[in-house]
Amino acid sequence: MFFRMISGTLFRQWKKMLMIAFTIALGASLATAMLSVMLDVGDKVNQELKTYGANITVVPKESSVLNSLYEVEDGGSSGAYLREDELGKIKTIFWAFNIIDYAPFVNAKATLDDGSEIIAVGTWFNHHMELPTGEQLDAGVASMRNWWSITSGKWLDEQSADSRTVAMAGSALAQRLGIQPGDTVHLTGTESDITVTVVGIFDAGGDEDGRLFMPLDTAQALDGLDGKIDSIEVSALTTPENELAVQAAKDPKSLTIAQYETWYCTAYASSICYQIQEVITDSVASPVRQVAESEGAILEKTELLMTLITILSLVGSALGICNLVTASVMERSAEMGLMKAIGAQNSSVSGLVLTEIVITAIIGGTVGFFAGWGFAQIIGHTVFGSSIEMRPVVIPIVAVLVLVVTLAGCIPAIRMLLRLHPAEVLHGK
Amino acid sequence: MKRRQMYFRMITASLIRRRSRMLVALLSIAIGAAILSGLVTIYYDVPRQMGAQFRNYGANMIITSEGGSLTDGDIEQSRSYIDSADIVGVTPYRYESVRIRELPVMAAGTDMSQALLTSPYWSVEGAMPAAEGGQLLLGASLSEQFRLGVGDEVTVSFTPEANGTASDEPVLDSTLDLTVAGVLKTGGPEEDYVYIAMSDLETLTGISGKADLAEMSVSASGDKLKAYADVISANVPAVSASLVKRVTESETTVLTKLQALVLLVTVVVLALTMICVATTMTAVVAERRREIGLRKAIGASNGGIIKEFMGEGMMLGAIGGLAGSLLGFVFAQQVSVNVFGSSISFMPVLVPITILVSVAVTGVSCLLPIRSATQVDPALVLKGE
Repeated sequence: MFFRMISGTLFRQWKKMLMIAFTIALGASLATAMLSVMLDVGDKVNQELKTYGANITVVPKESSVLNSLYEVEDGGSSGAYLREDELGKIKTIFWAFNIIDYAPFVNAKATLDDGSEIIAVGTWFNHHMELPTGEQLDAGVASMRNWWSITSGKWLDEQSADSRTVAMAGSALAQRLGIQPGDTVHLTGTESDITVTVVGIFDAGGDEDGRLFMPLDTAQALDGLDGKIDSIEVSALTTPENELAVQAAKDPKSLTIAQYETWYCTAYASSICYQIQEVITDSVASPVRQVAESEGAILEKTELLMTLITILSLVGSALGICNLVTASVMERSAEMGLMKAIGAQNSSVSGLVLTEIVITAIIGGTVGFFAGWGFAQIIGHTVFGSSIEMRPVVIPIVAVLVLVVTLAGCIPAIRMLLRLHPAEVLHGK
Repeated sequence: MKRRQMYFRMITASLIRRRSRMLVALLSIAIGAAILSGLVTIYYDVPRQMGAQFRNYGANMIITSEGGSLTDGDIEQSRSYIDSADIVGVTPYRYESVRIRELPVMAAGTDMSQALLTSPYWSVEGAMPAAEGGQLLLGASLSEQFRLGVGDEVTVSFTPEANGTASDEPVLDSTLDLTVAGVLKTGGPEEDYVYIAMSDLETLTGISGKADLAEMSVSASGDKLKAYADVISANVPAVSASLVKRVTESETTVLTKLQALVLLVTVVVLALTMICVATTMTAVVAERRREIGLRKAIGASNGGIIKEFMGEGMMLGAIGGLAGSLLGFVFAQQVSVNVFGSSISFMPVLVPITILVSVAVTGVSCLLPIRSATQVDPALVLKGE
């Protein structure tokens, strides 16, 4: 009988129930969308901040000393090198998944035909790597220097057939030498000489404008530096630093075992640096504070902002649902009065109302959840051009929220129903 | 006159007598309006507030001289072309090769009181050197190389360039004893430099009033910043201002995305909230079908009923909108203080806009149920069908 009454209400009063379900669906979709976006916004913004370039640099242990002993002014090769064959190991550290890009650099000195010296930088442009894990990665300056504007020509493509004899020139250098894309430049290094074709001219707005960038092998051959690199720039997704990270950055050995585990297994810039040092022989990896520090601040602010907006919209949707449930239950006072007049107990009337509302809430909540997921994807694709990952934790939060809010919305209505005098209701007061 | 008085009496009486029900509706409108005004305020304020965060990346404009060196006058003149509220910091730098313990080291002379404004990411162990001189800031790798720490004394020497006329005479080194005030860590090339106060460098070299470049941190992005740079390059003689591409390009990208994010979120939240308000209003009006039937039965015209109910709804909308716009400002203020640690400016234009939107939303959401209610036969409604 109970079920018949409930299904009777749901089917016969489907218009009213539809409206409640609709409001609940709206509230639930708002909650789902905002929670999903909020939980994912950190990763997304972090990804965006990668446009600032590397946040970790790796240099040979002795270079800092040697660099100041020799060639203070031009920052050329320093005498200590990292090994090229170890580059792949960076993608094997514990936080390998967080390393989204990296590029090695080697600086070679070369003499032009007119006798002037320039710095030829060897690096990866769009180096293709097949990792032991089966992953594939295109790394290099094409993505790590995306603030370079190509004033003429195009980016150097390492996959092209003539990739060993091409180069990209900085705008200042190109202006000085009067070269255009397609022109050739003859370089004499300490070990060999080579003629490269300039494929593109870039404007970097810094020192790099005066340099010639070419594939790693080509620059190494110039100065006989086969298999050697000067530095590695790494772009990694990191967690903002906290006290533990600061302490660990000074000396990881000062931590207790438990602290060390926590630190090692969190993607702090300092722990990623530490892990890189473990795999690259005689290296010093240090976070670039300009990038790491600012990223932390911006990330934190964005997350906090989104959290507060989410709370506001949760409160908004909760009140919206609550209001409507109260209004629509109160509206049915005549029906409830009639039930009470023909002998229904207070408890069974309340039970009936609650069950109806909860069924409606479940239907509305489910629909709303999927709609909200859709909204989140729209936001993700429009703003960041990638989909928002669904966190499982959103489901219980939304479910609890919808149920609690709906039941809370019933409370004033039920209290009123209990106080109803059947005679008055039926009389029409 | 009488008619209008009666109209207002009916509306207010209906609002006051059905107090609890009307409070529910009012609350929902006020929340909707608060969300509207709060989010719009935040949306307009985010670029400004976030822009300030982006200044953590340091200088975004570099001023150099097109020939020779930069004078204090050049820097002051360049500065005058930028809105003073937008300037975060201006720091002149002058680079000279000096020697510490007979090893060549690059020294940068700068204004110590300004350096942290254009390079907020510097991490200094110890303290920044005093602006008036006598102290220096040592890059971390130099500190390790020379085994010098905070508080140590160090002698900096400089060999003036032989200036041709007196080439036979041996050129004497000038020296200066300075105290290490702090050790600088950046993870970048700055760690190989020693920073000393401009006045000390001038004493050491004997040449004063010149700088190699000035770093500027300006809180503007994209086209506005570009315009500032162009104005300076065009108007200050022999000075060229260039943007630090790495910082400016990336800032524009990230800031645009962030603003788009807040905009989209605002639109989604607003749309959903407004629909919520509308359904509540619809429910509130729909339950009064009996009343509408009764009025019709005693001779009210459809138009009169619609007018009265709409007046009621819109009055609720106006009150709710007013309350909501104030609540929304309080919310936006809280967000701003908690997130960015600075207060938000009140936008008076938002109050009428919020009220108008609330009135429009409540009006439209009342109109539909009232119209359908007026179309029914009064006898049927009164009979309870």
